[in-house]
Amino acid sequence: MDTNPSDTPSDLEHAPYTPLPDNPSQARIRRPFKVFAAIFASVIFLLSLVTLIINQSQEPLPVQNQNRSPSTSRPTKSFSKPEPRGVAQGVSPKSNPSFFGDKVSYNWTNAMFSWQRTGYHFQPEKNWMNDPDGPLFYKGWYHLFYQYNPDSATWGNITWGHAVSTDLIHWLYLPLAMVPDHWYDINGVWTGSATLLPDGRIVMLYTGSTNESVQVQNLAYPANLSDPLLIDWIKYPNNPVIKPPKGIEADEFRDPTTAWMEPNGTWRITIGSRHKKTIGISLVYQTSDFTTFKLMNGVLHAVPGTGMWECVDFYPVSVNGSTGLDTSANGPGTKHVLKASLDDTKRDHYALGVYDPVADKWTPDNPKEDVGIGLQVDYGRYYASKTFYDQNKRRRILWGWINETDTETDDLAKGWASVQTIPRNVIFDNKTGTNILQWPVEEIESLRLRSTEFREIVVGPGSVVPLDIGQATQLDIFAEFELEITSETKPENYGCRGGAVDRSALGPFGLLVIADKTLSELTPIFFRPVKTIEDTVKTYFCADETRSTKAPDVFKQVYGTTVPVLADEKFQMRVLVDHSIVESFGQGGRRVITSRIYPTEAIFGNAKLFLFNNATGVNVKATLKIWELNSAFIHPFPFDQIRME
Amino acid sequence: MKTSVTSLSIILLYILLLSTPLPLTQCGDLIDQICKKTPFHDLCVLSLQPNSGTNVKSLASVMANLVLSNATDTLNYIQGLVKQATGTPLERPLADCAELYIPVVKYNLPQAINALIRGRYGFANYVISDTAKQADACEKNFSGENKSPLTDRNKLISNLCDVAVAIIRILQKGL
Repeated sequence: MDTNPSDTPSDLEHAPYTPLPDNPSQARIRRPFKVFAAIFASVIFLLSLVTLIINQSQEPLPVQNQNRSPSTSRPTKSFSKPEPRGVAQGVSPKSNPSFFGDKVSYNWTNAMFSWQRTGYHFQPEKNWMNDPDGPLFYKGWYHLFYQYNPDSATWGNITWGHAVSTDLIHWLYLPLAMVPDHWYDINGVWTGSATLLPDGRIVMLYTGSTNESVQVQNLAYPANLSDPLLIDWIKYPNNPVIKPPKGIEADEFRDPTTAWMEPNGTWRITIGSRHKKTIGISLVYQTSDFTTFKLMNGVLHAVPGTGMWECVDFYPVSVNGSTGLDTSANGPGTKHVLKASLDDTKRDHYALGVYDPVADKWTPDNPKEDVGIGLQVDYGRYYASKTFYDQNKRRRILWGWINETDTETDDLAKGWASVQTIPRNVIFDNKTGTNILQWPVEEIESLRLRSTEFREIVVGPGSVVPLDIGQATQLDIFAEFELEITSETKPENYGCRGGAVDRSALGPFGLLVIADKTLSELTPIFFRPVKTIEDTVKTYFCADETRSTKAPDVFKQVYGTTVPVLADEKFQMRVLVDHSIVESFGQGGRRVITSRIYPTEAIFGNAKLFLFNNATGVNVKATLKIWELNSAFIHPFPFDQIRME
Repeated sequence: MKTSVTSLSIILLYILLLSTPLPLTQCGDLIDQICKKTPFHDLCVLSLQPNSGTNVKSLASVMANLVLSNATDTLNYIQGLVKQATGTPLERPLADCAELYIPVVKYNLPQAINALIRGRYGFANYVISDTAKQADACEKNFSGENKSPLTDRNKLISNLCDVAVAIIRILQKGL
């Protein structure tokens, strides 16, 4: 529907096989090559057969494995290719395997790698992280749990990492909350959610991958509710509490949500799955005690063609207000957001609709923009998002997992992979009525050091203006743009896809972040308004990673989408820059794009910020306020060291 | 300056009136020794005398409780101001300040005091340092034309926190 990232992944240019150097018409001269090629092909064929057999023995659905990989759009041919991690174990692909082999991997230096670590985003000290889990606020502390591999910078051996904060920004690492130590989660303590009960208890429901790789739902709870740090957790002795029901595949049943209370006092949770492989669904379970669950008839909702729904999230938003709502809220003045992470495309989608608590059914406001076929939570590198209700400040807070887009080899070399976004406040957009707004939590302002303002800088067509600020790697940028049309504009057919080098009449214009002074590396974040045949203006909001780095083994693409710009609004963007992550918010958070970048030149003092206008028919007037942000200095909780005398 | 000393005296008097009267001890030397190692010697001495406690742990506890009582008092004050400031430009920053102080008063400081009793000095230290940051953040909410009505209170809490943290460090590392 939209100008989403190009449909033909760039990896197809670099097919995972070497063309056979063979031409049958010149048989006599090439006989030695022919023989060699035949032997070579046979060896590879045998190797790949062996690999396929090994894969098949782990995974009862052979064909699906290959379809789930983001790196191929067709099953691999006879040459073995590294399969993304996680797929064989029954979750979505968790890696970006190198297509090039180590020979073509960029010569990364320690300086380049160390620069990539973020200053104020949450990430563990080392190793692999993925989905955020069970976020909650309890007795003065925000808690974040996360899928974590304590042994390596790649997915595997999944445990629950744990961190706490009083302000969602300054995090303190705590000991692992849960590890795979029972038959029902021995193959992974996977994603789950917390429910705070009215009597003060906390229940955690999470997916365990059993010793037979069956996905079951388990219950855990804090060992000691009087410990505000909730360090120790107990698993319910009679786990699992839910097994895959009849008709549901044993490895497509995961990620239980926070529970909501129905008017009759019983609780509901929903768990994503799929029906007949292509219909994304969410099942509903009822419980009173969180130990016995009853599967309800039907589903909360289903959307054909969307495939497996991972990390389903379901929550109410207030149509009028600016506060968040408790997960159990319902009634007039509320709508419900249903969100799913699509296994097939690795994108987070959501839709707004109405929830009927009697029938346990949710109906989208606009079936054409249903879950999985309409809006995305974030249009960049983003997955497995999850919200929670912050009863401290009455907000709905959204977490999202941001994977690396460099190679697994790079991740192993640098010793870590993945970050979380800055937590975002989520509210209903009552100006458009058709989307949510996301905005970084206000606590990020505590990181502000000094600011620089620029008022009404005019940038002519085809120009770049350097912005003189201090360091340019940790920034919170507010930018507003107005256009002065200098020539007649005709309807055009442009989107984000060509990136910032593609010039159209009214765009692109915006910022160049993490750019070196010669612009050999740069990441444009921009608007591209386009006049349509109906004589209206459609505006695209885009992030162009294609020239973010010279390194060839990084997955670089243009992300973006259309963003509603209302009549009285200027073009506004807010951009959080933090080393290898950029979070870009368009029109107050109507659309968000998260990018990962790995520059080789534009690092440390060489990273600069520019304004640009690559349109042909407009002058752009820009007003900016740019804050330099301090680091959050995330570190282990300062427990007492026993002083040795 | 005058206002802060006056309000400090009032607060200390309030505490004295509520606390069990204790015999004057010879711990003046200890208090002086401890307070020399804090960033606000005079404030420290004024706060701790003539309090009980012949050991550093009880002095730390007194200090932590003083932070809590000041924070509680400030929160009540802010909530009163918010009601009066409805519709004015001060309403928002005041409400934000209340949001900062509420979990501190309700949860974090009582947890820190509890932690001190149980010897969890690292936890107590972190929370009290964090309280100082919340007081500073509250102050930063006011800028330009919105002059802060809380400057003295925020400053006092911040300074009391710094003293408390210094005393806890002595507990952790010795004199």
